[in-house]
Amino acid sequence: MWEQVRRPCGRDIGNANLSGVARRLPAHDAARGEAVEVRIADQSVRAFAHESIAAAAFASGARVLSRSLKYHRPRTFFCLEGHCSGCLVRLGGVPNLRACQSPCSAGAEVEGQNAFPSAEVDLLGAVDFLFSRGLDHHTLMTGSSVLNRLANKVVRQLSGLGKLPASAPSELPDVAERNIDVCVIGGGPAGLAAATACAHRGRRTLLVDDQLRPGGSLRTDPRAGRDHAEEIWANTQHAGVEVLPRSTAIGFFPEDDGGVVAIAAPDQLYRVHARAWIWATGGYVVNLPFIENDRPGVIAARAVGRLLVDHGILAGDKICIVQVPQVAEDAEALATALAAAGAEVARVDLANTFGARGRSWVSGIDTTQGRIDCDLVAVAAIPSPASEGPRQQGCKVVLDPDAGGFRVVVDEHGKTSTQGVWAAGDVTGYMGPQRAAADGARVGANVAASLD
Amino acid sequence: MAGKILLCRCEDVTLADLEHCVSRGYRDIEEVKRYTGFGTGPCQGKECLAPVATQLARLTSKAPAEIRPFTSRPPLAPTPIKVLARAPDAHRFEDEGGAAPVEEASTKPRSDEGP
Repeated sequence: MWEQVRRPCGRDIGNANLSGVARRLPAHDAARGEAVEVRIADQSVRAFAHESIAAAAFASGARVLSRSLKYHRPRTFFCLEGHCSGCLVRLGGVPNLRACQSPCSAGAEVEGQNAFPSAEVDLLGAVDFLFSRGLDHHTLMTGSSVLNRLANKVVRQLSGLGKLPASAPSELPDVAERNIDVCVIGGGPAGLAAATACAHRGRRTLLVDDQLRPGGSLRTDPRAGRDHAEEIWANTQHAGVEVLPRSTAIGFFPEDDGGVVAIAAPDQLYRVHARAWIWATGGYVVNLPFIENDRPGVIAARAVGRLLVDHGILAGDKICIVQVPQVAEDAEALATALAAAGAEVARVDLANTFGARGRSWVSGIDTTQGRIDCDLVAVAAIPSPASEGPRQQGCKVVLDPDAGGFRVVVDEHGKTSTQGVWAAGDVTGYMGPQRAAADGARVGANVAASLD
Repeated sequence: MAGKILLCRCEDVTLADLEHCVSRGYRDIEEVKRYTGFGTGPCQGKECLAPVATQLARLTSKAPAEIRPFTSRPPLAPTPIKVLARAPDAHRFEDEGGAAPVEEASTKPRSDEGP
C-alpha cells in the first residue's frame, strides 16, 4: 500500500494536517500521449504514455516510494532526473530501477522496496527515533564480540537495497561499437547545441543522453518551455547527429583499445571510440542544509519545474521555494509560472530558513519570519557540476562553491586539461540554460575546427 | 527546532555525522567517505559530493580549492549487470574457463587524486 492522499473538498489547503495533491493541468492534455493503465503497489493507476512512472505515481497520489538505508526514513523522488536514489522501485520483478526514468508502458507492475511491510508503514522506521542523534556504526555494539556478531546479523537484514529479481534475464544484450569523430555526452542545452554545431560542420557525431527524452534543463525552465526543447532536439536530429536516448556514459577505460567510453542503454552496451569528447553533462540538483531537509515533499525546484513544463503537472497548491541568492532569478521565473498555473507560492532564502515540518509529507517551513504552511517545498540550489566523467579522463577540476561544486577547468576555447577532451555548459560552472546553449554552440564549433 | 540535516540521502549521512567524523580526526574527503559512507550509495556522490566538500572546507577551515573530490570510478550510474554480461572481458572470462588476466593498471595519475 502506498500512501494515498485525496484532495479534500472545500477545506482550507493551508491546514497543516493535510497534504495537497498534485494535479494534471488541462492545458497540457494534448501532449500527454495516450492513456494507459499501470499497476502501482497492486492498485490500478491511470497514466499517460509520455509520463514517467514517478510522475504518474505522484499525480495519482502515491507518495512514499521507498525507505532510506539506515534510518528507514520515508523517501520519494528529489531530482526527477535519474540521479538521486529517492525513486528506486521494483519494476516488472527487477529491483532498483528509477521510477523517474521508466516510461509508463501499459500493464507495468511497480512495487515499492526497502521496507517492511510497506514503504508507507515501515516498522523499521523505529531506528530513526531510537538513534535521533545519529548512529555511528563503527562503535555500535563493539564492546562484546558476541553482541557484535549478533548486531552484524541484524544490520545486514535491515540494510541493503531491494531484493534480487525473481528470474534471470532471458536474453543478454549485445555489445555494439561506435567509431566516430565527436562524442557529446549530455543532451541538455549545451550538448544539443554542441552536437548540432559539429554535425553541421560535417563531423560524424554521437550524442548520449540519459533521460527519457533529451532536452535536459530546457524541459524544466518555464522561460524555455517544452515546445522549445522538442524543437531543439528535432534540429539536432535533422543535422545528422546519432542520438542515443536513455543511455548513460558509465565509464572511461583508458587501457582498452586506446581509450573507450562505455555507454549503457537499457538493452545495449556501446563501446565508443572518438577523436574528440565533449562533456556537456550539466549539473546535478542538490539539496540545501536545513533541518529535516529530506522530508518527502521537499524536492528540487528543477523537479517542480520539470513536472510543470514537461508533464503539465502542478506539484502542489501551496509551494514554498527555499533558495540561495545565486539562483534567485531562476527561482523567480519558476515562482511566476507556478502562480500562473494556480499555486500559491512563497520564497524564502536559505539564510532565513530553520527547517521543514511534517512527517510523512512536508507541511511547512520554519523561518526567521515565522512559519510558512505549505504542501510542497522546492529547493533552489546551485546545480553541482556533473564532472565525474571528465575526472575519469584526467581533466582538472576545482571546488568552487559559487559554481555549484567541482567544476571542470576549461580554457577560453572549451578545452580541458586533457588532450581531445572538451567541456561546455554547466559542467564548467553554473550558467543556466540560455548561456549553456550559447556555450555549447561555441565549443562545438571549436571542436569541429580542431579536427581539420 | 531539533532534527536531522541530511547531506547524503542514499546513506543517511547527516551534518552531525560529518562534524563527529571531523572531530575524530578524519579531515580528508577520502577518509570522510570511508568513515561515513557518504557517496557510496546509488547516486555515487551526485547529490552529496559538493555539499559534503563545501561543509568540509568550512569545518576544517581549508580553502575550497584545497579540497579534492574522491576518485571517480566506473560505473558512473547504476547499471543492470545484464548490460555488461557480454562485454569483451566477460567473453574472455567465459572462453578461458577461468579468471580473466589481470591487466596492468594505468599508472597515469588522475587529476582528482590530488598532489
